[in-house]
Amino acid sequence: MTEPPKEPVKYVDANLYLPYRYTAGDCRARFLHALKDKRILGSRCSKTGKVFVPPLVSSPESFAPCDELVEVSDRGVITTFCIVNIPVIGRDLQLPYVAASVALDGAALSIFSAIQECKPEEVRMGMRVEAVWKPDGERQGSFEDILYFRPTGEPDAPLESFVHRL
Amino acid sequence: MSELRNVAVVGFAQAPIVACDAHRTATEMLYPQVKRALAECGVEREAIDYQTAGSADYIDGRPFGFVAALDVMGAWPPKQDSHLEMDAAFAAYYAWIRIQAGECDTAMVVGYGKVSEGQPERILNLQLDPYYQAPLGLGPMTTAALQASAYMARSGTTDRDLAEIAARNRAAGARNPDAQVREAATAEALQQTPWVVEPLRQGYVPPIGESAVCLILAAEGKAEELCDRPVWIQGIDQRAELQTLGARDLSRSASARLATEKALAMAGLDSASEVDVIELFATNPAEEMILREAMGLPPAGETKPVVNPSGGPITGHPLMMTGLIRLGEAFRQLSGRAGAHAVPNARRAIAHAAQGHALQQNLVFVLGRERRWS
Repeated sequence: MTEPPKEPVKYVDANLYLPYRYTAGDCRARFLHALKDKRILGSRCSKTGKVFVPPLVSSPESFAPCDELVEVSDRGVITTFCIVNIPVIGRDLQLPYVAASVALDGAALSIFSAIQECKPEEVRMGMRVEAVWKPDGERQGSFEDILYFRPTGEPDAPLESFVHRL
Repeated sequence: MSELRNVAVVGFAQAPIVACDAHRTATEMLYPQVKRALAECGVEREAIDYQTAGSADYIDGRPFGFVAALDVMGAWPPKQDSHLEMDAAFAAYYAWIRIQAGECDTAMVVGYGKVSEGQPERILNLQLDPYYQAPLGLGPMTTAALQASAYMARSGTTDRDLAEIAARNRAAGARNPDAQVREAATAEALQQTPWVVEPLRQGYVPPIGESAVCLILAAEGKAEELCDRPVWIQGIDQRAELQTLGARDLSRSASARLATEKALAMAGLDSASEVDVIELFATNPAEEMILREAMGLPPAGETKPVVNPSGGPITGHPLMMTGLIRLGEAFRQLSGRAGAHAVPNARRAIAHAAQGHALQQNLVFVLGRERRWS
């Protein structure tokens, strides 16, 4: 072999383009559609009675079908939280912000959301919060129809009331 | 051959193959099949020691996508679990090894994937090398056509020969309620369909399809409890070819030939013609001819053994599941569950699975109604 060329090809660029169109499925579609009307749906486990939000067609825990859809409150309790100082991909949130696990009243499992309209240092486990929705006419039937949760000012829930939903 | 554990297929459930199930996600499609397979065995999830899935993250459209399947596989309390980025038939092979190792006595194998959510030709293009092959835009249909051309040139096979094989698969698929293409078609009609990639015509290749599949394996001692007619794995072997397409003789399948020889030897058989049914992972007629030749069978025409009585992958090819369906079909044939497409008095079968471009990897199961080892 002779000397390598003075300007070798060091890299080959590849721009991978793989579009996807995720199927919502009937169960999730009903949940998403109800968000337009500021309603939050869950599904009830036919074996244990637990309500999953967002709804699941089957319980990962009991392995039983969860065919019945039920409405739950848009209020709940913070079960665990953290204060985030690093930017989030795809969201324009002022740092630091609080990411929290919120157990809605009537639901056995928590959903995740941002907590706003209060100082991060004021957030605590057991704090009562409510959903802040996008205004009427702007909701699309998307999980982003819930902008964030904010404190309601109600008294904190005692740990025993949500310890099984951590 | 030293003594191995007798392991049987004892349950199988499959969602009918469709172009797109708009009502369910991949895991929502899988859940009822897991429940059906367990119900067929008359057991609850507690009876399963180990579980494994075959799927592709690029089909799921998310990294580590397979973990989503855990929620619908009855994986609680926590179980031994693994995943193969391969057709689920290869996961069944892996489960068989785990049973041989004595780590478990029962195993659940699932295959799933919403092929309709992404673009499989683009995804499988990325399986090729990124310097010389992928940038050309080669996809699985193109590499299959290259292979078909090579085979036809060597063997003198004509377009008409391909059409007749496709027509025979279509006639068989019409009797299989889980097939996607259920309309029989004549060779004349199929020969009039347009080229997809010459020499493959639209009538010779399957449409994009999706399904969800669950198969249960059990070792001797448990298998008899789970199934009235367990179908025993008598031989098994898996071989892979080189990745560089240009380094292979595309007109033949050396790996299918070797895997078949080894699996037959393990089963104590001399020839593939000693079985009654063969389910081949042949997604076009040329692949069927190459595989039949590799197994020492006449490449075309009606044979004993009967090839692809289910209609084969030409009538339904859900990526990541097509191979496991071959194993499930062999189970159906030997356990009296094949319904309208049953081969009478079938006692032995071969189930074959392939993966990769131009039949790169081949896996062969030899199955029978009798135990292999005493």
